[in-house]
Amino acid sequence: MDFRLFNTSSTLKKQRTFCLFLCACLFILSSHSVHALEVITHPDNIDQLRQLEQQHNLASVFAMRTLYWPNGERIRVIVMPDDNPIHQRFVKENLHLFPHQLRRTWNRLTYTGTGQAPSTVDSAAEMLELVNQTKNAIGYIDNGESHE
Amino acid sequence: MVSLMNKFTLTSITFLCCLLFSVNNTMATENVSVPASSLESDDFKWADYKKPWMDDIQIHGFLSQGLFSTTGNNVYGKSKDSVSAGSTELGLNISYQALNNLSFAAQGLYRRAGESTGPEGTVSLDFAFIDYTFFRHSAGRFGVRAGRIKNPWGLYNETRDVAATHPTIFLPLAYFERSRALFVSMDGGQLYSDYDTNLGNFTFKFNLGLTNPADKELLAAITGNPNIQGDLTSDLSLLANLNYEIDNGKYVFAFSYANLALGYDGQALDPYKDLNARINSFMLSAQYNGERLSLTAEYALQWNQFSQLPDPFAPGSTFEISPVSEHWYVQAGYRILDNLQATLRYDSSTQDINDRKGIAFSQNPPFLPAQLMFTHDIVFGMRWDITPAWMLRAEYHRVHGSSTISAFDNPNLAQQVADWNIYALQLAYRF
Repeated sequence: MDFRLFNTSSTLKKQRTFCLFLCACLFILSSHSVHALEVITHPDNIDQLRQLEQQHNLASVFAMRTLYWPNGERIRVIVMPDDNPIHQRFVKENLHLFPHQLRRTWNRLTYTGTGQAPSTVDSAAEMLELVNQTKNAIGYIDNGESHE
Repeated sequence: MVSLMNKFTLTSITFLCCLLFSVNNTMATENVSVPASSLESDDFKWADYKKPWMDDIQIHGFLSQGLFSTTGNNVYGKSKDSVSAGSTELGLNISYQALNNLSFAAQGLYRRAGESTGPEGTVSLDFAFIDYTFFRHSAGRFGVRAGRIKNPWGLYNETRDVAATHPTIFLPLAYFERSRALFVSMDGGQLYSDYDTNLGNFTFKFNLGLTNPADKELLAAITGNPNIQGDLTSDLSLLANLNYEIDNGKYVFAFSYANLALGYDGQALDPYKDLNARINSFMLSAQYNGERLSLTAEYALQWNQFSQLPDPFAPGSTFEISPVSEHWYVQAGYRILDNLQATLRYDSSTQDINDRKGIAFSQNPPFLPAQLMFTHDIVFGMRWDITPAWMLRAEYHRVHGSSTISAFDNPNLAQQVADWNIYALQLAYRF
């Protein structure tokens, strides 16, 4: 109400600039999120994922060190092959790791019998389908790609 | 090279390869078939029945074949001034996550390693155990494994036969093949604990049990006598490993400790019948895994005590030796491309730190060459990961000394050469 009193031409200009800036920010954010890689989970586990992210680094989930959802169910990790560009980007950008680091950890588990490696799918479509159908599953997709 | 492999070996390798690939393909098709079947109306049944099976049971395997050509001494068969294909490793494992805190795992291993296994190779149970996690919380877990368990010795021993898990064809000298039987696995129990903190992740493993030392190579190394008839036996031994990783393996630090006890099983008149050995050893490990650059260093010191060895110059009497051996290496790896890695390593192994150059050894009976007491090795290797499953690599070694080579591939100890070269090529597959 009161702001009209101060609505001089200079403040109007400032407001307009601010609006433009906000729009620009929103645009950058939204375009960023379109092309970002996102963690996906089985529909029943969305709340569990929120809780999990508060307690743990997602990297430890994909490194098979955090093995259980907060409710005690075992996490089913699903990934794409080491040389898949989506996998490589996800590991670097979202987990802040390198694919060879994860491979080293998974190999240790697999070939000593002390743990299990994530299940592997070959494509984004398979990833989406398998995560959607597997209770307690977690995976990732390229948001940009899935909109195409 | 084919002449070194007899028909049996070739057939068995071919058979196991077929098995390996067919299992892999079955897994792959199952993977695809599950989502497809779920589109049908009976998806409920399939989703409940088939998926847990697929997710909870995993089958994995690996296969590698090496080609070697050397000057001076033999590796993996007759490689000297020739080509040997005497190293084949093939493993197949299954793991079953029965409950959230209960699992089973087993791995079979077929291995050919020059004359010490013979051309037909050996088949062994590499590990087989039950794993029970009896306590877990959000930052870690505590559990026990019982059965045959791999020994967490240094960075590479647990997966020493899986080519893809180490950067060069030949493991660093600290893991030399001659003493493989000492460290490879233990029959007994393992206590384990994982603990995650903001500063990094800790893993502790403690193995207690009997090692599997009935290996002629190890016996020949201890006694210096490849013709000995009996077998080494194990007394209660322990091995512990504390592993600390920052950023999920960007930095790895480990401390390993082993206290191993050996006895001897032979005929009543066998001069070695009272032989026993006690081995105390530790290893320090450090590794950096960057995007392109990897740096690794390990240092091991080993106190050996070999008692009741028959004195060849005074029949009926025995003697004891207690050499302290030392192994260390520094290694740098660089990923030129994501799937192409170059590795350079300087590696050193000394049988007795009180006789590093083997001078005292060579001047006393049986007057064998000094180079039997040490090995220094400069390694340059290239590794190409053709696909995530297939890998091809080549390497060159400039070796000074012969302390780590097989007495079965090089039976004339007096003629082992001090300065020699190894050229090696390896093709490996894993799934």
